[in-house]
Amino acid sequence: MAEGTGLGEALSIWFFVGIMTLAYGVVLLPYGAYEWFGGHEANTVLNNLHPTFWWGLLIFLFGLFYTLKYRPRPGDEKKV
Amino acid sequence: MHFAAPYLLATTQLTRLSPVDLIILLLYFAVVLFIGFYVKGSTNTSEEFFLAGREMTAWIAGLSFVSANLGSLELMGWAGSAYQYGILATHWYWIGAIPAMLFLGIVMMPFYYISKTHSVPGYLQLRFGEGARGLAAISFGFMTILMSGVNMYAMALVMKVILGWDINFSIWVGAATVAIYVMLGGLRSAIINEVLQFVLIWAGAALIPILGLIEAGGWTKLKAQIAVNVGNTNYTHLWSTLGHFKDNPMGINWVGIVFGLGCIISFGYWTTDFLVVQRVLSAHNLRAAKMAPVLGAAFKMAVPLIVIVPGLLALGVLRDPHTHQLIHLVGENQVDAAHPYSYNEVLPLMLIRYCGPGLLGLGITALVAGFMSGMAGNVSAFSTVWTYDIYGAYLNKRAPDKHYVLMGRWSTVVGMLVSIGTAYLVMNAASIMDYVQALFSFFIAPLFGTVILGMLWKRATNWGGFLGLLAGTASSIGMWVYTNFGTEAHKADALARIALSRDAQPMANDMFRALWSWLICVGVTVIVSLVTKPRPESELNGLVYGATVIPDDGATSLWQKPIFWAGVVFAVFVILQIIFF
Repeated sequence: MAEGTGLGEALSIWFFVGIMTLAYGVVLLPYGAYEWFGGHEANTVLNNLHPTFWWGLLIFLFGLFYTLKYRPRPGDEKKV
Repeated sequence: MHFAAPYLLATTQLTRLSPVDLIILLLYFAVVLFIGFYVKGSTNTSEEFFLAGREMTAWIAGLSFVSANLGSLELMGWAGSAYQYGILATHWYWIGAIPAMLFLGIVMMPFYYISKTHSVPGYLQLRFGEGARGLAAISFGFMTILMSGVNMYAMALVMKVILGWDINFSIWVGAATVAIYVMLGGLRSAIINEVLQFVLIWAGAALIPILGLIEAGGWTKLKAQIAVNVGNTNYTHLWSTLGHFKDNPMGINWVGIVFGLGCIISFGYWTTDFLVVQRVLSAHNLRAAKMAPVLGAAFKMAVPLIVIVPGLLALGVLRDPHTHQLIHLVGENQVDAAHPYSYNEVLPLMLIRYCGPGLLGLGITALVAGFMSGMAGNVSAFSTVWTYDIYGAYLNKRAPDKHYVLMGRWSTVVGMLVSIGTAYLVMNAASIMDYVQALFSFFIAPLFGTVILGMLWKRATNWGGFLGLLAGTASSIGMWVYTNFGTEAHKADALARIALSRDAQPMANDMFRALWSWLICVGVTVIVSLVTKPRPESELNGLVYGATVIPDDGATSLWQKPIFWAGVVFAVFVILQIIFF
């Protein structure tokens, strides 16, 4: 059984956590790289630390880990 | 209709969303709605719709337990309170939460769980009969609707002030999204989204304290800067300024914090507010039900990092980017051209300070997620109490299970509509958090008196429980009216009588009113119980300590024992008090 989503379901609650944060990482990481390496940093305090890039990378790795660990596998929905 | 001052004065928005921000926000809405449709197939019975099939693990129930309380009201209101009152606001996360959460897990959860009740009013019905259940259900329903209205208002304020979005648009889009996913998936849908929202809130808000502390040069330098900016060191001490009302920015003393907040309001909220207790009732076994609040407490202890620290950072480093002058935030009633921002806007201001496109979208999504979790928590709890404890108890007792599920879905929609009406009403509240504190002390403090006596004292009778709850609630409302209406001189006198000091401020008033109403509830319950006929002990099995054999929770090692982890969490809690004393 997928954790949290009910008997007979294949997608675990943790998979949703993973896929959502992975999607945010996929959006933020390249945008952060564009800001950093393209010289388009936003006019914010401490923008010299490139927070969009590094935070995007962290969220991407977090999301990737959860997505892979809790990805649906054949027969998952039949386990109780 | 009245509008809060920022609406009238904020002629320009703080920022605008870029396309990348919009992608992040829209992704969130898409996933949230998908979850509602995805789990609809697993919510066909009332047990599935209202209690998520009682199949959640301790981690899921524990995260949901904390997240249901982590609405936008929490995020913005307490960040504003941290700016206004300093680190004292942290008491609402630590002494005002941790002991009560641990007590719920270790002492009270076994009774909620083994009685197989569907709700807290349901427990009162088993223990004290229909009178106490009816009173608790109606007052709870009233409170949840007001609370979700407050959440809506807070979110609309964020969208208006930061992005210039129309207030009506924010309220209706947010409310419709929550209504759809809760109506489709019930508590299961709400819980899944709450877990998701908890992660998003951290992803979106954690950068503010991280970058803020880097800018300030660390905690020690931030404390020094705050002392320079405000002219004293009272804003960064948790306990040492609580000797007298006059010694701290909140105008409260340690008695109010320890007994009013720590012993009454927090125990009332965390152990009897069905909004949070419902999440734990969804646990799949007794051990998970006991562990969920313990895990929730561990996460709760960390929340001040993303709520309180931004408020303190604003005291230290928030300056106008052009003039480099400190920006002074004020109460909503004092907003004017010279002071355009109120306390409640501190979090958005700090977000904009550090977050450009992309991160801004993530931060806004975190605030939206907080709003959604607060709304979903209230509306799912309301729908359960309405269906089980009002409709099913008094209006239609013998309907088939499917009918109650349908009623749950429809009451979600109707509850949301009433909340929207409430959101428009609360816009004229001077301070969001003061309003919520008043609500808490009306219902929650007396309810805690009734439930705790019901669980721990076999002699408490049906009449004692009902009349105690009624007296506590009525006295709380009476004290609130007494201290909030009349001339200024009368209000000052009334406040001095309730809080036992002429130096007390409104926050102290709330704490002491909760304390008095709890004492009145307990006193009336005890006196009435002693003069009325007790229930036979055989009827109290599963409901009261001393009349119940608590089943083994199945823990086979120290690492599996909830009491061990509760001890660990409590030890960390004590260490934190010492560090920030």
